[in-house]
Amino acid sequence: MKRIWGIIFLILIVGLFLKACIRADIPEQYSDNVINADIKEIVYPAKERNVIINGIDYLQSQAPVGKFGGELVISTIGEGPKTFNPCNTKDATSSSMAGMLYDGLVTTNPRTGEVQPLLAKSFEINGNDYIIHLRKGIKWTDGKLITADDVIYTYNEIVFKGLGNPSTMDAMIVDGKLPTLVKIDDYTVKFTTPRPFAPFLRQLSYPIVPKHYFKTYSDKGESVFNAFLSPNTNPKDIVSSGAFKLKEYVAAQRVVFVRNPNYYKINLENKQLPYLDKVVYLIVGDTNNEILKFEAKELDVLSIRGSNVAQYKLNESKSDYSVYNLGADTGTLFLVINLNNRKDKNGKYYVNPIKQRWFGNRDFRAAIDWAIDRKNMVQNIASGVAEPLFTAESLNSIYLNKYIKGHPSDINVARKSLQKAGFVLKNGKLYDKQGNRVEFDLYTNAGNLEREALGVMIKQDLEELGMKVNFKPVEFNSLVNKLTNTYDWDMAIMGLTGSPLEPHDGKNVWTSKGSLHMFNQRPANYSVDDRLSWEKDLDEIFKEGALKLSFEERKPLYDKYQTIIYNQKPIIYLYSPIRITAIRKKFKNIYPTPLSGLIYNLDEIYVE
Amino acid sequence: MEFFKYISKRILQVIPLLIIVSIISFFIIRLAPIDPLAELRLNPSISQETLDKEIKRLNLDKPIYIQYVSWAKSFLKGDLGYTSAGEKVSTKLKERIPNTLLLTSIVIFMTWIVGIPLGIFAAVKKETVFDRVLTVISSIGMAIPSFFFAILLLIFAVKTGWFPVGGLTSYNFNELSLIGKFFDLAKHLVLPTVVLFTISLSGLQRQMRANMLEVLDSDYVKFARAKGLSEFKVIFKHALRNAINPMITLLGFEFAGLLSGAALTEYVFQYPGLGRLILEAVMKSDINLVMASLMMGTIMLILGNLLADILLMLTDPRVRGTK
Repeated sequence: MKRIWGIIFLILIVGLFLKACIRADIPEQYSDNVINADIKEIVYPAKERNVIINGIDYLQSQAPVGKFGGELVISTIGEGPKTFNPCNTKDATSSSMAGMLYDGLVTTNPRTGEVQPLLAKSFEINGNDYIIHLRKGIKWTDGKLITADDVIYTYNEIVFKGLGNPSTMDAMIVDGKLPTLVKIDDYTVKFTTPRPFAPFLRQLSYPIVPKHYFKTYSDKGESVFNAFLSPNTNPKDIVSSGAFKLKEYVAAQRVVFVRNPNYYKINLENKQLPYLDKVVYLIVGDTNNEILKFEAKELDVLSIRGSNVAQYKLNESKSDYSVYNLGADTGTLFLVINLNNRKDKNGKYYVNPIKQRWFGNRDFRAAIDWAIDRKNMVQNIASGVAEPLFTAESLNSIYLNKYIKGHPSDINVARKSLQKAGFVLKNGKLYDKQGNRVEFDLYTNAGNLEREALGVMIKQDLEELGMKVNFKPVEFNSLVNKLTNTYDWDMAIMGLTGSPLEPHDGKNVWTSKGSLHMFNQRPANYSVDDRLSWEKDLDEIFKEGALKLSFEERKPLYDKYQTIIYNQKPIIYLYSPIRITAIRKKFKNIYPTPLSGLIYNLDEIYVE
Repeated sequence: MEFFKYISKRILQVIPLLIIVSIISFFIIRLAPIDPLAELRLNPSISQETLDKEIKRLNLDKPIYIQYVSWAKSFLKGDLGYTSAGEKVSTKLKERIPNTLLLTSIVIFMTWIVGIPLGIFAAVKKETVFDRVLTVISSIGMAIPSFFFAILLLIFAVKTGWFPVGGLTSYNFNELSLIGKFFDLAKHLVLPTVVLFTISLSGLQRQMRANMLEVLDSDYVKFARAKGLSEFKVIFKHALRNAINPMITLLGFEFAGLLSGAALTEYVFQYPGLGRLILEAVMKSDINLVMASLMMGTIMLILGNLLADILLMLTDPRVRGTK
């Protein structure tokens, strides 16, 4: 008897302990007005100006003058940077860290998205010539001047030779030719493109690196250059130009940056920026840990997802942080259908010919599109913190085709579309003309809870139509292997990040020979022309779009490409998450924009 | 002489073992349908030329057995190669090994210092209140999954603010004084240590208790008691020396666990140790890194067993005799 009482007592103790850990749960769904409530009216500062003091061309920030000192702790999810060499970054974390250290000639206006000078003082465009005037008297962190030689070196010996990550070189090639670059004087250079090429100006945001520091390594060839500036480089040796310089890298823990006293940007009182003494990136393994660290006040900034938004928003007024709505994400979530009708080396079809007939049929794809209930997904998976998506460009893209309004889900339209394509429904099961049961596999990457939930919902929506969907979450890397190498898949739920500024960046996805043309992937060096008619149109649009220089000329072309994708539906877009970010109230000069996020202006942010 | 012959024989046995382990693991990793370049492929701004360059660099265009041979050749030369991100495997490991060693050696030291006496004490005081309470506690310790316990403690840390949420050092670590550094490290180590300690303590304590009980029940202990020896002498001179033998074998395994035993806990606490590194490497099929860690694990296991055998020879005359 005593023993039983003992056990009951024990259970009670453990139960109480666990209970203390559970907070009163807040209902998961919130209407838009909770999330969008009291959106702060933001008055943005004027554009930065060039100011000459003692013969030095400074860039003057027009943001209110703040206090010097203080530190900002932010996070990066994953394994941390793999290199600080800005010419050799292949992942997002490395490029943002290297981007802290090295500025490019031009940058993007964080609000309007137009190209504006950064390391360059100004630029002129005459036909195919781009004349760049550099700032006089500005310095690297080691005190040496930044001159035309550094620009010439960066492009002629790194970019145009394809050292490091050759993607910029590949993107600059027009008609098989690279642009040329000549030095006019110590502070002026001239680029000449072989043909008018619209994306070129924006590509000049490529980081400029110091010749006197990099040349010794780039001369020793590819492998030495790739290992150069690895995370274990002594921070004292690194010569850089950005607002902050590297102080310390501790593997799997943090990267610490401190202010660069030679930075070329000044405030309205002509004092050199940045205000912050220190910017710390904590390397955290996953989003849960990030939330815990924010709660424990170890982090100052947190990007909040789905179901957590309401809770943070409700607590905002009595807490030390502000929550900002940054609008729709640049990322897109979609269902992609495999239209591949080719055979592999052994003469075997990648996709079963029966399925090829279904997937190749536009009406079949339209039925799927109409059956998918995006609103339901937004409500239940994204907790209302997302927007339904129907276009290939993301919702904050300046090239978004606003005429594509989308449609609500309608199972009857979907059924009619299937009937038109010759499918028949018997006892709730769908059969094609030849009497084959419609059954296929739906893949996504395991471990991504959002996509797994989407898979379950799509499966349910499609089973309404009588289709049998085998939902198979698989390991991320093996899914990508299927999509890009073995092509043995039917449908997949994936996501990609796009550029909200330059639709040409999507050419690897949309052009028929692209390396990420997932829905109809051709092997590299595939020579047979078996393009579908609308694939030919897409190829044409992407070729032409790059040659037109003005936004007004390009917009109709990229509108057309989005219309084609919307009509043909090789990829069915689902929704775009809305980005919600919290930052401690003590930080000032915060000017969030949908294009650039919350803390793009690290050099202007200060602690009150 | 016998002794050295035995050791050299054991070391020779290691060679075929390492070859077999390396072949099996290499082929399993490489034959799994995991593409090490998946993330690159899915990045729309990476061109085909970049991908081709990477494939060449990582030797992915060659058949598996050639990949294996070239890996084995450089391994024999002591070159662990580069990770798929282009960093040196040896530097990556060097960054993490001290952190993991720090955590695991503290834990092993503490569990043995506490666990063995507790086990002995529980056996001697069998069926008393003390023994019962200890049984309940160690049952909980054995039953609770380490990651769950770790998450509970993390929530505790957030709620109270007494401990940092994961990591090993604060971001201003390098500006602290020596004493400050020590306390900063200690503060970060408390929670992961508590998790690992609780879990391994329960097992060790139970094991020791069982061994001790068995020995206490044996004829020679009864005889020693009958001889009128003091209880202290009976337990420590006669019972303990016999009961400790299986524990020494266990110590050998613990030695192997020094570098690999804490992966889950490390992951939850974002501890910058080997476990997290290897887990991420396996997910990405980062072959050189995974192979290096597997080889290291194998060698540690063999060394641990060897160590245990040598210790056994020293403590147990029976083992010495047969060899």
